[in-house]
Amino acid sequence: MNTSVLEASSTGTSALEAARLMLARDIRLALRKRGQLVQPLAFFAIVTTLFPLGISPELSRLRDVAPGVLWVAALLSSLLALEFLFRDDAQDGTLEQHVLSGQSLTWLLFAKTVAHWLLTGLPLAVMAPLAALSLGVPAAALSGIVVSVAIGSVALSLIGSIGAALTLGVKRSGALLSLLTLPLSMPVLIFGARATDLAIKGAGFAPPLYLLGALAVLGITLAPLAAAAAVRISLE
Amino acid sequence: MAWTWFHRLGSPPYIYGLAARLTPWFAWLSAALLIGGLYGGLVLAPPDYQQGDDFRIMYVHVPTAWMSLMVYTTMAVAAAVGLIWRIKISHAVAASCAPIGASFTFVALVTGSLWGYRMWGTYWEWDPRLTSELILLFLYLGYMGLRSAMDDMQRADRASAVLAVVGVVNVPIIHYSVLWWNSLHQGPSVMQLAKPTMPPSMLIPLLVMLLGFTTLFAALLLVRLRAEILNRERTASWIREAVTQ
Amino acid sequence: MSEFLNMGGYAAYVWPSYGLTLGVIILNIVWARRLLAKSREDARRRLAMRGEET
Repeated sequence: MNTSVLEASSTGTSALEAARLMLARDIRLALRKRGQLVQPLAFFAIVTTLFPLGISPELSRLRDVAPGVLWVAALLSSLLALEFLFRDDAQDGTLEQHVLSGQSLTWLLFAKTVAHWLLTGLPLAVMAPLAALSLGVPAAALSGIVVSVAIGSVALSLIGSIGAALTLGVKRSGALLSLLTLPLSMPVLIFGARATDLAIKGAGFAPPLYLLGALAVLGITLAPLAAAAAVRISLE
Repeated sequence: MAWTWFHRLGSPPYIYGLAARLTPWFAWLSAALLIGGLYGGLVLAPPDYQQGDDFRIMYVHVPTAWMSLMVYTTMAVAAAVGLIWRIKISHAVAASCAPIGASFTFVALVTGSLWGYRMWGTYWEWDPRLTSELILLFLYLGYMGLRSAMDDMQRADRASAVLAVVGVVNVPIIHYSVLWWNSLHQGPSVMQLAKPTMPPSMLIPLLVMLLGFTTLFAALLLVRLRAEILNRERTASWIREAVTQ
Repeated sequence: MSEFLNMGGYAAYVWPSYGLTLGVIILNIVWARRLLAKSREDARRRLAMRGEET
């Protein structure tokens, strides 16, 4: 599985082609361990259950806090899911091979992050409406929630990839990773929760959605560069 | 000629000696400025017609808030220089900045909340400026946490440098998103920090305090930098003479 | 003088602010100087050990 990406470098494959191979590989490997993919989703479900237990079973009260609850839970479960991004490859030395392969590390890591989003962020966007319903959110708001979580989780995966790359090989890096990633993710939380709030109220939520999109685009352009630099530093 | 000077900047023994010579100047200058500024702010400046004597907190809150941002920027620039041009001294500068900046940020937060009490009636409100300061404190803590998690000095330097650069790019994003967030809700009025027209008797002590804190930072940085250099240049030959003086 | 200390009724906010600031300034100075002293001491010790080896 690993060799196809490595062979790509020797046959003079373009960065885009190598990225595509990486994307396919990561998804194929992850689908073999489906149990692991479910864990962040289960965590999301549990966290959203904690809030009603801690606040009140009244749907009217929950509806008021639903945007915040959904997005905090999404942030935390995406944080948890970050573990899967580099861990396996770092452990068996494949990541090092990628660095040495001569392919553009930025593109390879971008591909890995896209795969990660497809496997964790997108499912989160599908689960979010279910959690929203449990918090008393009207059905009309659900499509808005799916879209905003889908876009927001792109930004979260990209921001998270930087922290994950910086803490490669650091033992018990969970708390440190959170400390690094969460402050940078706060704008995503702000705009995402606002979009969700407007959707629930039936108002137009395009402005915050555009801002979310802007964050995602910024992440797409800059995060893989930072992550590549961080991976090189971590593996030196 | 100019290049020689530039190259010397990368030489640890030169910087060590320079830092040692400059520190007393910055130290005494900052002491004079801070004492002068304190006198001007506490005694000479007249009470504000709106805030009474409460506004005098401005003379410690505004400089420390300004410093928290300035020090982070300095740290990020030094880190970037160290990362791009592989100048080790630059990393030492960045490492020295962090604890100073974090402590200033803490003071800015506490003095800000004390200043806000008059207007809010509570010790904390999610005022956009204070919220941004709080997030800045988290950024400092993250930087220091990442540094301490790594045993290898070179890895610590370079990883934290990437983090500092990513952080400094995010600071305006975070600031504006927090401002936007705060404006959405009928929240507490934004703290009146910068009065549109401040009479000179009020403004001058503020500028003096700002300068005083900046020179204080320079002095503290130079002292910490010397310590960093000694720790990094473990067995270099020039150290013998430097530490037995 | 008591008027000065009272700060127009805001004494409870103004003086702790200044006190904290002064405290943190002093803390920074002491901390930085201690770090330098420790580094110098460590360097002396390292040099002494190397001196013994030669």
